[in-house]
Amino acid sequence: MMQRILRVNMIDRTATFEEVPEKYKVRAGRWLTSSIVASEVPPTCHPLGPKNKLVISAGLTSGTSSPTSARVSIGGKSPLTGTIKESNAGTGFAHMLARLRIKSIIIEGQPQDTTKYWTIKIDKNGPSFLPADEYVGLKLSEAYERLFAEHGGLSHTSIMGIGVAGEYRLGAAGICFNDIKGRATRYSGRGGMGAVMGSKGLKFIILDDTDAPGVEIADKELFDRGRKKLADALLAHAITKPKGALNSYGTAVLVNIINEVGGLPTRNFRSGRFEGATKVSGEALFANNKERIGKEVYNHACSPGCIIQCSNTVYRKDGSEHMSCLEYESDWAFGPNCEIDDLDTIAELVNKCNEYGLDTIEVGGALAVAMDGGLAEFGDGKRALEIVDEIGKGTPLGRIIGSGAVTTGRAFGVSRVPAVKGQNMPAYEPRAIKGIGMTYAVGTMGADHTSGYTIATEVLGVAGKADPMNSNKAEMARNFQYATGFIDSSGHCLFIAFAILDIPSGFEGMIEECNGILGTSWTADDVGRIGKEVIDIERVFNRAAGFTKADDRLPEFMTYEPLPPHNAVWDIPDEELDSILG
Amino acid sequence: MSPPPAYTNMRHIEIHLYGKLRRYAPDTDPRADSVLRVAGDGKTIAQIVEEIGIGKRDLGANIFVNGEYSDLERMLHSGDRLALFPDDMQLLYKWYFAWRK
Repeated sequence: MMQRILRVNMIDRTATFEEVPEKYKVRAGRWLTSSIVASEVPPTCHPLGPKNKLVISAGLTSGTSSPTSARVSIGGKSPLTGTIKESNAGTGFAHMLARLRIKSIIIEGQPQDTTKYWTIKIDKNGPSFLPADEYVGLKLSEAYERLFAEHGGLSHTSIMGIGVAGEYRLGAAGICFNDIKGRATRYSGRGGMGAVMGSKGLKFIILDDTDAPGVEIADKELFDRGRKKLADALLAHAITKPKGALNSYGTAVLVNIINEVGGLPTRNFRSGRFEGATKVSGEALFANNKERIGKEVYNHACSPGCIIQCSNTVYRKDGSEHMSCLEYESDWAFGPNCEIDDLDTIAELVNKCNEYGLDTIEVGGALAVAMDGGLAEFGDGKRALEIVDEIGKGTPLGRIIGSGAVTTGRAFGVSRVPAVKGQNMPAYEPRAIKGIGMTYAVGTMGADHTSGYTIATEVLGVAGKADPMNSNKAEMARNFQYATGFIDSSGHCLFIAFAILDIPSGFEGMIEECNGILGTSWTADDVGRIGKEVIDIERVFNRAAGFTKADDRLPEFMTYEPLPPHNAVWDIPDEELDSILG
Repeated sequence: MSPPPAYTNMRHIEIHLYGKLRRYAPDTDPRADSVLRVAGDGKTIAQIVEEIGIGKRDLGANIFVNGEYSDLERMLHSGDRLALFPDDMQLLYKWYFAWRK
């Protein structure tokens, strides 16, 4: 069986397998979703209307024994930003989709009856449609528990779905996948793709890979050589190795580091330092857990086959599990950004977002903007919990916050809205770390740290050269965006970047395993070429959707409000921003 | 944001320690600041690190002075805030660090 594209029409709930066009055969992940969206979705369409599509693709190496390769990309036109969007998640869903030899699922059309919801179940025999109305309004943990009980165990089943936020079509609605233990917690969070899924009347996609044919590998020997080199690099690097920074402290290891740099956005981007930072850090979480369950807890994998294993678990004071996983950006969004310095409150805010199907960065950002507008006091965790519950209930206030920071800023008359192209900035202050600001400005999907992780060289120092306050980095910002374009297509988690940029054999390994699977003969130059192609495809879409250079800018307040402790303003000239991607 | 008044002591270097380096400070709880104050005007970070007794193997490469990424040869002045992260939180290989100027 060849790889196929599954095209689903939600108007009459029909689905057909199509041959993969020749030009798409070597594409996957973000490269494929952005290619399909750019060629099939009218750039000026309404993101929640009938002409938008939801495009799903696992990465090139997903479904194989390659390490840390379980990323699945979701593409479409974003209701939050109006741009093209690719949002990826780490989940066994990616492996199963690839093993079923489904190169992409394209969800199109819009049913007349907007109150009915459906599940698409896909196994080796193909797709079937099941009513999902009984799951409407449920918290996602309960829904996933019931779905796993009904459709089979974790070893062969994986779920993609939306919560109430997607049913309400909110700009902060994400798409939720199960983690390695079946928890409804791994997100394609950003850009409101959950709202697009909801607008199609689609509640869940359930995969069953029992007796699936598996991924075809053109040159097994080359693939094995490559994956071993990559695995060795991940096992050797201080950031990605077992009991290394990410495995011990999770991504929240960054709280203290970014705080020391003066780039931890605090109180809705009024300061780069948070006095309560140490209380909400990865170290604090590690210490709490040790105290609460009586032993050191190292982190676990979000998905099968990951070497890095950065997902933490938060335990309650009585030793029971509260939630997993508390990522750095989520921790920051409700912590420093809202001046909440209690980890248990932050964990519960993130847990609520997981239950309602929400993007934690956008909700935390909107909440901080609303606090700035007087809705609540900064630091008031109790009120924050109530407000997030309003989103779950779908009240008018909840719908405003759930529509994101820009809508919230308008509703509350706030000018300090840290968004680019409609999307709230994540946990890195551009006035203190200029390179990330350049990425926010010109990225194809609004303010997004993952579209070019310049933090890696600037603060984490992976390439060891850059200084966070040095602003001459157009070339670095460009190259990181291209590298990211490739990694997001490879099926690998972006965190392999630490190891492959530092360890040349790891980088070679990544290319060799791709060549081994596809039968291609890519070199390092092709990585740059493919990454550039991905970004170019997305920029063409955005231009046709009406975006211009004027949209590639940071919010005005950052140019005149100095950010403590460096008291820096955003001062990168427009011409320099325009030179990044040309 | 300036350091809170209680922490400000213009005659000293204020050292913020993280991870296993916290043990060199009076307060080692990772849920609070572990701060060590030393006299060190005109000394380099390397000299101060040696005086505290931090072994080179334990020190990572994420070293910041007043929020600026810094190398070991940087000279410190009274009132500076020095932040040190250990090797198992380090996000940079030591051999990069050794060659940084």
